[in-house]
Amino acid sequence: MVIAFLRTIILYAFIIIGIRLMGKRQVGELEPSELVLALLIADLAAVPMQDFGIPLLTGLIPILTLLCLTMALSVLTMRSVRFRAVLCGRPSVIVENGKLRQNEMKKNRFTLDELMEELRMQGITDLSTVKYAILETNGQLSVLPYAAQQPVTAQQMGLTPQEPGLPMVIINDGRLITRSLHSRGLNEEWLEKQLRQHHVKGTQDVFLLTVDEENRVYLSKKEVEK
Amino acid sequence: MKRLWIALILLAAIFTGTLLHIRSLHGFTDTLGRLLEQADELAAAEDWAQARALTVQAKEVWADRDVYLHVLLRHADTDAICAGFRETLALLDSREYGEYAAANARLVTQIELLYEAEQLTLKNIF
Repeated sequence: MVIAFLRTIILYAFIIIGIRLMGKRQVGELEPSELVLALLIADLAAVPMQDFGIPLLTGLIPILTLLCLTMALSVLTMRSVRFRAVLCGRPSVIVENGKLRQNEMKKNRFTLDELMEELRMQGITDLSTVKYAILETNGQLSVLPYAAQQPVTAQQMGLTPQEPGLPMVIINDGRLITRSLHSRGLNEEWLEKQLRQHHVKGTQDVFLLTVDEENRVYLSKKEVEK
Repeated sequence: MKRLWIALILLAAIFTGTLLHIRSLHGFTDTLGRLLEQADELAAAEDWAQARALTVQAKEVWADRDVYLHVLLRHADTDAICAGFRETLALLDSREYGEYAAANARLVTQIELLYEAEQLTLKNIF
C-alpha cells in the first residue's frame, strides 16, 4: 500500500510537470493540478471496479492521496503568487500594440493559425486593430482591441438606459414558484391579473413567466401537443 | 489554511497507516515462516504428528487475519497461499517427505513474497 501511495505522489508530480512543459494550449480550462486529477481519477476508479481480484483499497488510497494533494496545491496557489506562477505559469502577451511577439509565441508553441482562429472566433479579422492579445494560464486567448475599435457604450453616447435587473422565473413549465413571486413583492392576485391580460386560463398553461426588477413580464404560453 | 492542514494531516495519516501495515505484515509473515520451517525440521525427523500440528497452527494464524489480508492484498496472492496450506497438509498426511518439503518451501516463499512486495524499497517503488 505504501508503494501505491508513493507511486501516486511521484506520478502526480511527474504528470503536472509534463503538462506544464507542454504549454498552456494543453491545459484547456483547468489548472494543471485539476487536469491531472481529472485524467487519473477515472482510471484509478475503473481498475478495482472491474477487477475483483484487486482490493478496493488499492483504488481508494491513490484517489484519496490525489484529492489531498490537489487540495493542498490549490490552497498553496491561493496563498502564494510565486507558487501559483510555478504551478500554473504566467499569462503571455502574444500581440502588443498590433504587433506579434514571435518569441512569446514560440515559447508557448502557439502557431499563427491558432492565433488567427482565436481572433476570428472573437470577430476580429484585422490584427492591427488588436491592442493586446494575452494567452491566459488556462489556455484561453483574451483579445483587447484598441479603444477606437471597441463598440460605443450608452455612457459614451450620454444615454441613461433603464436597468431591468435580473429577471426572476415565476412560472417554470406550468409550476408556480411561490418563493420567487413573494421575493419580488408580488402576490397571487397580481399573477392572476397578468394571466388574464395574456389570455391564459391558469399557471398550468404557461411554459415560462419571468418578472424583472421593473415588474416587466415576459410570458410564453405552452404549445398545444399535436 | 484549514484545508491545507486537513490535506496534509490526511496524507500523513495515509502514509503512517501504510507503514503500520508493512510493520504488521512483517511480524505476521515472520511468525508463519518460522512455524512452517519448524514443521519442516520435524517432518525431516519423521515427527509427522508434530509437524502437522505446527502447520495447522500456521494455517489458523493465517485464517485469523483473513479479512485484513483480503482487504489489503491482491486476492490472487492470498488465494495461492490458502491453496498452499491445503496442499502442504495433504502431503503431510501422505507422509511423502520429498513432495512435502517442496510444497512447504513454495508456501514459505509465497508468504515471504507478500512482505517483500509491500516493503518500502526503491526497487519496489520504481
